[in-house]
Amino acid sequence: MRRYLRLLLLQLRMSIALGAQYRWDFLTQGGLSLVWTVLGLVPLYVALHNRPAVAGWTYEQALVVVGWFTMLKGILDGAVNPSLVLVVEHIRKGTLDFVLMKPADAQFLVSTARFEPWRAIDLFAGVGILVWTFRLMGTAPSLAAIAVSTLLLAVAVTVLYSMWIAAIAAAFWVVRLDNLSYLMSSLFDFGRWPVSIFKGAVRLFFTFVVPIALMTTYPAEALLGRLEPARAWLGIGGALVFALTGRFVFTRAIGRYTSASS
Amino acid sequence: MSRGDQGIEVAGLHKDYRVHRRKSGMLNTVRSIFHRTYETVPAVRDLSFTIEPGERVGFLGPNGAGKTTTLKILAGLLHPTAGRVVVAGHEPRLREHRFLKRITLVMGQKQQLIWDLPPVDTFSQNRAIYDLSRASFDATLKELDELLGIGAIAEKPTRQLSLGERMKCELAAALLHRPDVLFLDEPTIGLDVSMQLAVRDFIRAYNERTGATTLLTSHYMDDVAALCPRVIVIDKGRLRYDGALGKLVEKIRPDKAIVLRYAHRPDRAALERIGTVTECDDAKAVVRVARPDLREAVANLLLDPELSDLTIEDPPLEEVLRELFAQSAAESA
Amino acid sequence: MRILSAYPTLLRIGFANAVAYRTEMLVWMLTMTMPFVSLALWSAVAESVPVGRFDQKSFVAYFLATIVVRQLCGAWVVWELIQEIKSGTLTSRLLKPIHPLVVYSADNIAAIPLRALFAAPLALIGITSGGTALPHEPHRVVALFLSLFGAWFITFFVMVIIGCLSFFMESSASIFDIWIACFMILSGYLVPLELFPSWVRGVAEVLPFRYTLGFPVEILIGMSSDAAIARGLVIQLAYGCGSAAMALALWRSGVRRFGAFGG
Repeated sequence: MRRYLRLLLLQLRMSIALGAQYRWDFLTQGGLSLVWTVLGLVPLYVALHNRPAVAGWTYEQALVVVGWFTMLKGILDGAVNPSLVLVVEHIRKGTLDFVLMKPADAQFLVSTARFEPWRAIDLFAGVGILVWTFRLMGTAPSLAAIAVSTLLLAVAVTVLYSMWIAAIAAAFWVVRLDNLSYLMSSLFDFGRWPVSIFKGAVRLFFTFVVPIALMTTYPAEALLGRLEPARAWLGIGGALVFALTGRFVFTRAIGRYTSASS
Repeated sequence: MSRGDQGIEVAGLHKDYRVHRRKSGMLNTVRSIFHRTYETVPAVRDLSFTIEPGERVGFLGPNGAGKTTTLKILAGLLHPTAGRVVVAGHEPRLREHRFLKRITLVMGQKQQLIWDLPPVDTFSQNRAIYDLSRASFDATLKELDELLGIGAIAEKPTRQLSLGERMKCELAAALLHRPDVLFLDEPTIGLDVSMQLAVRDFIRAYNERTGATTLLTSHYMDDVAALCPRVIVIDKGRLRYDGALGKLVEKIRPDKAIVLRYAHRPDRAALERIGTVTECDDAKAVVRVARPDLREAVANLLLDPELSDLTIEDPPLEEVLRELFAQSAAESA
Repeated sequence: MRILSAYPTLLRIGFANAVAYRTEMLVWMLTMTMPFVSLALWSAVAESVPVGRFDQKSFVAYFLATIVVRQLCGAWVVWELIQEIKSGTLTSRLLKPIHPLVVYSADNIAAIPLRALFAAPLALIGITSGGTALPHEPHRVVALFLSLFGAWFITFFVMVIIGCLSFFMESSASIFDIWIACFMILSGYLVPLELFPSWVRGVAEVLPFRYTLGFPVEILIGMSSDAAIARGLVIQLAYGCGSAAMALALWRSGVRRFGAFGG
């Protein structure tokens, strides 16, 4: 356990060293994130500003969802995505063998290989949106609400990570993965909307298959103080299921790579 | 760590791959959307051998013979389809951490060094992964530095190093944890001649110093001839020969080549009475003679006053192996 | 002339290529149906009160049309190009006696019927059953096909431009990300352009993004006047020629650089 912690810190340090090398990237990506965050608000503005609430969500309340979405995006782009993109590179170049030769858990090595620390800008932007929105509404969330929603953020990250790792496991079968990550990003992008706006099959899809409900709507509802406890438990349970499934899929993928089943 | 269980044992190894086959043409293309047929391609068939701790063994064979597949099975990267494999007292496919700490893999043209950072960072990473104490890490690094001559290049980003420098750092990174078994897959491929020599010398020196069992695959005969007292020849997944390289040469091509140089054009007819003439031009001739007849042949040739130089050579390894593979092709036909 | 006779074979191979990666094909098809989600979203938003002149039915028609156009005008050459430049495998293409862009375009066009196979017909049925008429006047039909081809053309060549930037810099993938981000907002992919504030609409009409998606969509569901269509076609033509010219020029100088540095 201590060894893994040491490794994690080492990887972080190396990613920062790498980031210092590519300072231009640092600035552009950071700036781009901000621009994209602001632009992403436009459809929301068109849909809800000065219009009747949709499925129980007003403009300001929907903004809370956007705030969480932005934070989650920062974590996804900064801590989850970079490493997993490297896996695809490894498979393509045939260097995944080196990862498998190391006496450490392959999933851990693969998931901590690279971080992009400047994505923290998204985290701050998200928090900024939340603060501004509550200012607009003229209220402030209770401490309990903040605690629950932070817990749900951790749940959201777990779910997101597990989904990505399952998608990356697909890279062992389908070596050309650009489309899959593009698909995942497009689907994830709908997380900026409160899930209750969707109806029927689509809502089921976004609650259980690609659970943006879990990832952005529930933390927002918690912060707004209107999350039913049952939903919170559903969220935690769901995260566990996703985490286990993700690990299972990844292990199977490695097994296939080493033709363990044949 | 006991030296007793550093050896390698392989018995009845089989490995099959599944490959999708499709004929060309529009109809077949459309069909393959809905239904794919797979073929089983045997990569390794009934391979058996034992390697003692500390040995240096070379795997020889043409491309696609199954050398790399066998190596990957021994390293635990691939699961065998059938057969028994024991490396350093472990079953490789289980990939136990204790096992992984005792072996290492170096692949020519593929590197574990992080591309954008200096090799020292990869070294630190490996130190953390292999759980090495500061003392042992520093000592090993110093030793490797001496043997390889790395010095300051390890502090430049990997992408700025030349191929030869990269290979040196790659070797260092792979050996930091002092493994008992070394797997080297085409380690000198793409390197220039001086670099090849340097790598060869290093491998020999390392093996002699640490007694690590060393397995090398290559299709450069020179690597194997220089480094490996014992070779295992694999062709089409089957074992063709296991033993000393010299004996292989004797077995396949039991003749020697006598290279003669003359002051002027040699008499071909006269030479043909002594042995098979493979070359004969203005000043040089090559005559192949069976070993038992060698002494007499040389004695006869030396009688010619026009002779200015005489050397006795083994037939080139390439030819020997080509002969070996032709034989095996004939057998399987 | 040789290109014309070689094209059918190139199309056939492009088709085989598309089929070889079945899963990728599936994923691509799924990605192109993202507008279904937008559809669900905006119908819910417009349930009680229409947004602008868009009521529920109009949103449905709009996003179904978006799916159709996306499927018919999709291109992906930018990723292939970046990959081949970075790995150096472009060299083998350059050694063939045919311009690589011809092969890329054949691959692209050949794959479209397959990829559009399912969603496009369904979407078209959806549009008409919802009560929206597809264009039937001959000049409108012609305009539709021209705009579809134009949309693909611009998309393809802009992708070539961005891909070619990889000749000169580490990786232009991030530039493509910028393009996609702008595209999503300014092409009418996420929100019909009409619903934006007027200054955004003005900007969108001048930039090329609209002409790779929004413009054909508007023709398909009969949302534009003849004058607007004519104006749009002219601008589309301009962007088409401009992007093709820039792409070819960039390609030429990029390839020279590629050769000089050995890739």
